[in-house]
Amino acid sequence: MIRVTNLVKEHGAHRILNGLTVEFPRGKVTGVVGPSGSGKSTLLRCINGLEPFQAGEVAVGDVRLVGGGTPPRATLVQLRRRVGMVFQSFNLFPHMTVLGNVMSGPVHALGRPAAEAEATAKRLLDRVGLADKAAAKPAQLSGGQQQRVAIARALAVNPAAILFDEPTSALDPRMAAEVMRVIDDLADDEQLQTTMVIVTHDIPALKRVADTLVVLDRGTVAYAGEPAGAPPGYLD
Amino acid sequence: MTRGLFAVVVCALAAGPAAAQAPPLRWGGDKNGGAPYIFEDADGKLVGFEVEFAAYLGKELGREPVFVQNTWDNLPLSLARGEHDIVLNGYEYSAERHAETPTTVPYYVYSLRLIVPTDEDKVLSWAELGRQGKKRPTVGVLRGTASERYLENRYGDTIDLIRSETVTEMLDEVQAKKFTATVQDAPAASYYVSQGRFPGLKVVDDPVGYGYYVILTKPGDDALRERLNEAIRKGIRTGTLRELYQKYHLWNAAQQRLSYLSEQPWPAVADELSVEEGGGVMVAKRLRDILDKLALAAGTTLLLAFASFPLAMLLGVLVALGRVYGPGWVRVPLGVYVEVLRGTPLLLQLFVIYYLPTQLGRIEGLEWIGSLAPGIWTAAILGLAVNYSAAEAENYRAGLLAVPRGQLEAALALGMTPAVAVRRVVLPQAFRIVIPPVTNDFIALFKDTAVCSTIMIVELTGLYYQFKIYPSLVLELAVAVGLLYLLMSYPMAVLARWAETKFGHGGTR
Repeated sequence: MIRVTNLVKEHGAHRILNGLTVEFPRGKVTGVVGPSGSGKSTLLRCINGLEPFQAGEVAVGDVRLVGGGTPPRATLVQLRRRVGMVFQSFNLFPHMTVLGNVMSGPVHALGRPAAEAEATAKRLLDRVGLADKAAAKPAQLSGGQQQRVAIARALAVNPAAILFDEPTSALDPRMAAEVMRVIDDLADDEQLQTTMVIVTHDIPALKRVADTLVVLDRGTVAYAGEPAGAPPGYLD
Repeated sequence: MTRGLFAVVVCALAAGPAAAQAPPLRWGGDKNGGAPYIFEDADGKLVGFEVEFAAYLGKELGREPVFVQNTWDNLPLSLARGEHDIVLNGYEYSAERHAETPTTVPYYVYSLRLIVPTDEDKVLSWAELGRQGKKRPTVGVLRGTASERYLENRYGDTIDLIRSETVTEMLDEVQAKKFTATVQDAPAASYYVSQGRFPGLKVVDDPVGYGYYVILTKPGDDALRERLNEAIRKGIRTGTLRELYQKYHLWNAAQQRLSYLSEQPWPAVADELSVEEGGGVMVAKRLRDILDKLALAAGTTLLLAFASFPLAMLLGVLVALGRVYGPGWVRVPLGVYVEVLRGTPLLLQLFVIYYLPTQLGRIEGLEWIGSLAPGIWTAAILGLAVNYSAAEAENYRAGLLAVPRGQLEAALALGMTPAVAVRRVVLPQAFRIVIPPVTNDFIALFKDTAVCSTIMIVELTGLYYQFKIYPSLVLELAVAVGLLYLLMSYPMAVLARWAETKFGHGGTR
């Protein structure tokens, strides 16, 4: 469970998140939608501790980030090991192979033995359909393939939650479909029990995978609940 | 180091009415060589026994003497280029030198003196220099002089020879006990040591290596040379030179030979007497010797480059990390470090590292700084490394800033600590981005090792300086040294292109 309470995020005089409170239930897929500038991506970055915030609180299980100051480095690291993130621009490490990318979290963040991390990485690459690309460099892959590697990399540290920040926005429809198929597959995996938060403009895909829907508008929650009950306009 | 620039200093020492009509007598020398030859007094006036000797010659020839400054070992070259009419600055006679720049009859009989610290108790004689011991004595000499050749020929296997360009530098080093001893011409030994200007030094054993100071002239300038010979003979006959040498405490029994020598056919008499320093046979000129020295100097160049550049890179990375990721109190001083080092010449930094601690150590209460003075090699490697660390810091800073922010965020999002994220994700990419400028800097440093010749390390350029006092060797040596630099730096360029091709791709996505 991720709980966000009274979150305030400002950039100078501009308030992006305005006392936002929301919960993302454990093991569920939550879609986050809203107009451009409504604070969707900022919300994810605050949850992951990539953006400091001025007030409020983010709690992932028993790890809490409190706004208004610099959080302790240990707390940030602990929180990030529980919350994986998939970026719009993939952010794969270009100097590593695909396998190296997926192993990087377990080895360099969790200190797992390389052999164990490699076995996990190969299994995850197989899961996202890229077992044959293990030795390739990211630059040799298509955008869709790169995003699937990024998902495998996020899963490799076995996070309690994964935040997807517009994972298909930089892709053409065919590649976007490839990526959404992987997310579908993860959402359907009852054993995984990973909380997933997806910020996207791909409404049809979202309708297919999301258990719950959060609608943001001008930095606050305009709606939270079943996708079917969303106010008119947001899912059209 | 910028060399070969001429500073013309006019010394109107003997400007008479007749002299005003005739062309000036432009005489080349190096005032930095020091006393008692040519030096500046407290008022900045040029003095020294050769200055007064030049004034005497000007008077005799009816030509106003005009001093032309150049570095000592470049004087034969500037004579050949016509920058001055003669060279008058403690140049010793040798048959080879006479063949290239015809010499006058001698105006002074020099000898070589061994100088050691006053409390030295191991090396007190020439014989002790030749003994094989556990630790080879380090002996300083002026580059390109008879003392250098004398020591090379007689003690080349038992001592480490360090070459410099100024007498006082050598004396400083011996007084500071960085060197075991120095060998200087008798005039310098007399002026600086026997007359107490360096109280920490003493002259030991008998003089050796007698030879003759002569004036160098241009080939074909026979009329001028003969007039100079006449003036020298007259000066010897009339006692004018004796008075001059006595004024500077340079007169000794050996000078009595001048009367005989100056009246004999020159240079036949010198060759018959077989100059003791072996100047008639330029041992160093033997091909084998030159090749050995070139190989050694090339090795020195490589050693300096390969020892200092990794250190420069390490310092550069640390400075760059501090500037990009450090707090304000770290960023500001590191910014000053970079700007100071980038804004001052490498040569100055090298001098500061090598000489400043010794100089400060002489101030009462600061003696402890003197004990920190680095040796030649440490100073050279440290100087190059510190200087280049500023450039490398800027390269790496640019590289770190060029890595997209998303890379660091992705690493942090995986749960890496900031330090691990930088080390595993950002730095490797930054290294790839900066391969071209860093390789370029390595090649530049490779060539900048030449500056180390100013603190007495004989690398390739230093070796060229050593030999270039013999104009017949200049072209061959220039080509050989240039080729060696090229042979060593070209593989770096190839390696750099290979690295750019292999690693450059994907580094800046």
